[in-house]
Amino acid sequence: MMKYLNFILLVYLLVFISGCETDKKSDSINKTKTELTIPLAGGDTTIFDASSHAFSIPAPNLTAAALHKHLKGDVEFEAVFVTAPAEVNPGLGPIYNNVSCINCHSRDGRGRPPDIDGKLVSLLFRLSLPNNNKDMDGKPPIPVPGYGTQLNNKAIYGTPAEGNVDISYTEQPLLTSEGTKIHLRYPNYTITDAYYPLPEDIEVSPRVAPVVFGLGLLEAIPQENIISNADESDINADGISGKPNYVWDVIKKQYALGRFGWKANQPNLLQQVASAYHDDMGLTTSLFQMENSIGQSQHTNVSPSPEVSDEILDVVTFYVQTLAVPARRNVDDPKVIQGEQLFTQAQCDTCHIPTHRTGVFPGIPSISNQTIHPYTDLLLHDMGPDLADNRPDFQASGSEWRTPPLWGIGLVRTVNGHTNFLHDGRARNLLEAVLWHGGEAEKSRNMTLEMSQTERDALIAFLESL
Amino acid sequence: MKFNKVISMLSYLFVLAFLLGCGAEDDVDGNDKTQDVAFQSTKMLNDFANSVVLATYTDLDNKAGELLDAVKQLKDNTTQTNLVTAQEAWKATRKPWEQSEAFLFGPVDTQGLDPALDSWPVDHVNLQSVLDSSDNITVDYVNGLEDTQKGFHTIEFLLFRDGNQRKASDFTQRELEYLVSTTENLKASTSQLRLAWAAEGENFSSSVAQAGTGSIIYTSQSAAVQEMVNGMITIADEVANGKLSDPYNQSDTTLVESQFSFNSISDFQDNIRGIQNVYLGKYINDGQGLNEFVSSKDADLDSRFQSELKNAIDTIGAIPDPFRDSITTSPSSVQEAIDAVSKVQLTLEQNILPLVQSSEFN
Repeated sequence: MMKYLNFILLVYLLVFISGCETDKKSDSINKTKTELTIPLAGGDTTIFDASSHAFSIPAPNLTAAALHKHLKGDVEFEAVFVTAPAEVNPGLGPIYNNVSCINCHSRDGRGRPPDIDGKLVSLLFRLSLPNNNKDMDGKPPIPVPGYGTQLNNKAIYGTPAEGNVDISYTEQPLLTSEGTKIHLRYPNYTITDAYYPLPEDIEVSPRVAPVVFGLGLLEAIPQENIISNADESDINADGISGKPNYVWDVIKKQYALGRFGWKANQPNLLQQVASAYHDDMGLTTSLFQMENSIGQSQHTNVSPSPEVSDEILDVVTFYVQTLAVPARRNVDDPKVIQGEQLFTQAQCDTCHIPTHRTGVFPGIPSISNQTIHPYTDLLLHDMGPDLADNRPDFQASGSEWRTPPLWGIGLVRTVNGHTNFLHDGRARNLLEAVLWHGGEAEKSRNMTLEMSQTERDALIAFLESL
Repeated sequence: MKFNKVISMLSYLFVLAFLLGCGAEDDVDGNDKTQDVAFQSTKMLNDFANSVVLATYTDLDNKAGELLDAVKQLKDNTTQTNLVTAQEAWKATRKPWEQSEAFLFGPVDTQGLDPALDSWPVDHVNLQSVLDSSDNITVDYVNGLEDTQKGFHTIEFLLFRDGNQRKASDFTQRELEYLVSTTENLKASTSQLRLAWAAEGENFSSSVAQAGTGSIIYTSQSAAVQEMVNGMITIADEVANGKLSDPYNQSDTTLVESQFSFNSISDFQDNIRGIQNVYLGKYINDGQGLNEFVSSKDADLDSRFQSELKNAIDTIGAIPDPFRDSITTSPSSVQEAIDAVSKVQLTLEQNILPLVQSSEFN
């Protein structure tokens, strides 16, 4: 909803000309390197805002026509759906997780597990049955009878919701090399109020709503660049593989590189948006014309398909493709500079690859040919048994996750009022998130535990500057 | 294009300025010691948090309490007089809420209170299903319902239905039970919101007031001042380009805010009053606002903006009631209001924000 960001450019120029001491003393031996590696996080789509609006601003390099389309998408992203028939936004459910995009992706930001009230707002649970057939490896998850592949914990009146989830945590201590105790909380999820018998061997995977800015840039990274970072059989013997997911593209009707979602199970943003309408809100589109309740007892009195028009799908997809990326802050802080060096030394940057170059994205010049700093390789990595959801998703095994981008991570507290990280928000701060890393990242995790307190603080200060 | 090249070169420079965090040393305080009412960014942020935000939420919570009393009274004694009292109490509660839309950040958002209080549209099908059912309607029951079946607009629908035509004699017992329970739910939300900002509660006020001096939310005063201005711009944009324009451009009354109570014009005026409150640092008590800062830099800009605010409020007020008819019967009055609010938005974007951004807060 904000069109003024173009002016900020002028503003910062004024700051630069009028107020700045240009001869700040060099704080680090590595200053030159830092200046080279800190440019605009989102290329020309970068904005300079450290307020709670930081994730919600249109890319400043959009044309007037593109901005107009973005703002239309913004309105639809906030649109609240209700039970049909209705004058405005009918078609919700009959089973669903939430009533609008923005209710989960609050301020285009990050969701979290519930507080003590236990109400699931921006965390959902994917479900499946185990695959016991080798021929089905690499295929989509097997739906659970009566549930499909997602637990819809809400329903319109008179219709049973599928169930709820009871969440509890067990604290377990970790010791740093200096003997400091750090507690991690291990989650335990139990499906309650199941409306239909649950199979014993059901697979359950919790997922919080991820941030939605910068996604167009990730979509615009050429496929070959992503695949070039893959090292599935670890030929370079660094203990880190990196594996592309190949998932079903419902429009092209073929397998395609997965880029979005916690397990990279969506090939592009159009399909990601359409599947969110479908799976999370029970809204049909031209991509997913069957209700999410198909074949279940709740599937009655549904409105004509599609409930969300192609035009709305298009502007919402465009909206998430063209949100600005917030710039880093405090990059000249010596602590931050030290933290960046430690990030590299601990090989975090092997998977959280800082820099990419986008290709030409048809129709959206603003996100094309940009040098960006998302800190991800968009590939799958084995993160060890502690983080495993044990629910395979196409090529992703039960312990593999896609490297999430780190840009903007230091602003989550300001935007969303919490610091819960990882796929289910179990980490209560950035350090816990680092310490949950296992599997291919275990070496990096152990190096973090072996750091001095000062070094660990520096590492976190670096992450907070992103 | 040449211009674009210049822009990208400039952007590189300003990026460096941003990234290196220049201008942290001098405080504006020091520069204006000679003036009687010296602008102090720390005082402004403190007054914004307490004299504007917390004061607005406190008033909202008090008014919600009065609304709850009024609907209980209506349930116990369903007369036309008690209905009118409850309707007036709804409008009175709506005022501070609409004014608070000039600062929709912090707990109102992170604790999910904005959707709980102000979801729209109302889910009429589900609401009617509940009323038609034999479910025991209690506050706990309503707490468990979707946001689209509670909050301001559900209460509004129950109290007004269609303008002021609602008759007390039309109320069913179950509607009255629902009305009381959903108003109790609303009151719980307004209390939660007030406490989230209050010193005796979670004290979010201090996160704003201590920006740049220990706040973990705002690590610089610039970020907090940016939050203030962003909030004002967002609501000006929403009134000009959403609340006024959408129903007007599409001639669609279903898009009108507060359509059951015919309260739209007050709503829009209060949105602009919210901007005025933030700008002046005043809800009840007059604290330091952005006006002191702006006038210290550019007195003409300050007086121009203050008159633009007043003009926007007056011009919205000149739209004949109800707004949902005026979008077709008095289009020029609506267009004038859109233009007046757009002027407020433009001054914020083109003059005030740049002034704030180019100043050195810590």
